[in-house]
Amino acid sequence: MGYWKDIVLGGWSLIEGMKVTGRALFKPVVTVQYPRKRLEMSPAYRGHIEFKIFPETGTHGCIACGTCQRVCPSNVIKVQGVKAHARSGKIATHYVIDFTRCSLCGLCVESCPTQTLKFSTEFELAGDSRWDGVVDLVLRMEESRS
Amino acid sequence: MEATATSGAFWLRLIVGLVIVLAFSQLNALFLVWLERKVAGHIQVRLGPMEVGPHGLLQTIVDGIKLVGKELITPSRADRKLYALAPVLVFMPVLVAFLVLPFGPNLIIRDMNVGLLLIFAFSTFSVLAILVGGWASNNKYALLGAIRSVAQAVAYEIPLLLSVMSVVLMVNSFRFSELVMAQQRIWFVFLQPVAAIIYFICATAETNRAPFDIPEAESELVAGFHTEYSGMRFGLFFLAEYTNMFIVCAVATSLFLGGWHGPFGFSFKIPGVVWFLAKTYVLLFVLMWFRWTFPRVRFDQLMNFSWKVLIPLSMLNLVITALVLKIV
Repeated sequence: MGYWKDIVLGGWSLIEGMKVTGRALFKPVVTVQYPRKRLEMSPAYRGHIEFKIFPETGTHGCIACGTCQRVCPSNVIKVQGVKAHARSGKIATHYVIDFTRCSLCGLCVESCPTQTLKFSTEFELAGDSRWDGVVDLVLRMEESRS
Repeated sequence: MEATATSGAFWLRLIVGLVIVLAFSQLNALFLVWLERKVAGHIQVRLGPMEVGPHGLLQTIVDGIKLVGKELITPSRADRKLYALAPVLVFMPVLVAFLVLPFGPNLIIRDMNVGLLLIFAFSTFSVLAILVGGWASNNKYALLGAIRSVAQAVAYEIPLLLSVMSVVLMVNSFRFSELVMAQQRIWFVFLQPVAAIIYFICATAETNRAPFDIPEAESELVAGFHTEYSGMRFGLFFLAEYTNMFIVCAVATSLFLGGWHGPFGFSFKIPGVVWFLAKTYVLLFVLMWFRWTFPRVRFDQLMNFSWKVLIPLSMLNLVITALVLKIV
């Protein structure tokens, strides 16, 4: 009697499948018409890293200590800083990250002593050359402010 | 003379019919391609075409223009005559089938007493066209796709005809108007549910629709028999597929769903042609629903399903129908 059972059960499974797709037909769509409509990015989204801007100082808090540079397993961070005068701390002048080789492990964000690093919500990262993935965060911050 | 008068009306009917059929088959294909993409989109919880025209309504027209603009490529060492003939051959039976479809009580171009037979006889031509197209392309994938398609069509034609035969036995006629008139009070889908289901499964297979889209199986055979076709030649295959879909659904409507009749003898003052088209497009929607629900069957599954399940069941159904008709 396996023959009839196969037909009935198989037929029923087809109807079950059609129920699933039939319900999906009336669900609200989840896609948006992208270039014109954008979704709010989740705060958990991990784009490339970015400077946090602290409201007290109005700028980032990077002291160019190089912890992130040392902790980075992919070796993609290069930080340069200067001392304004002999007894002050360093301030970053260049913070270059090669995002094309970043593995998004987040060690830099975790290890930052001044907590000035965060993940950006940048997702439109298409570029024409591999140098388009190399970002200077200091420059980027200044550009975004102006 | 009476003969000339009837022949004049006859030719007028034929010419008007041809014009309507040509226009209708194009519009139908335009609409179905759009609907297919919309249904696909909404089943996958996305929108489908939205850019050209309101809700993408003009999308298929733009696609058509793109197809016309493309170069017609003939592969080297292809059989040129057959290669060019196949797209025409695939579209010809489609036009013939429209001759006998009963759109309404007075909307049959030719109400032949072999109407149903004519449709099934000519629908075999599309199989031939697929074989010719695949063979003439000088491409192994196209040939394999064509061969598989023919095996499939042969396998599924048998239960298709057997299931239709049980309806024909009940009405005692191949004439579409009589088949529809017999369903004035009760549709045959209630009297012959097994035949109706088998017919619809086989119709899906005959039109090469998923889950039986073996001939074009893009993941296994590139695109099957129309791999080498470009531009409007490919477009004709596509057009024929969508018009074929309409035809099998129209035949299903007139055989099992009461044709131009409303349910249980109520017509609700709606013209018959509206009933007919509404039922047909509901069936077409179900075909699309199938396509975006079921995964493609493997070739051995395809053959097993037809030879081990559909043919015995439809045969049994036919024998039982004959016995019941003889006894009652």
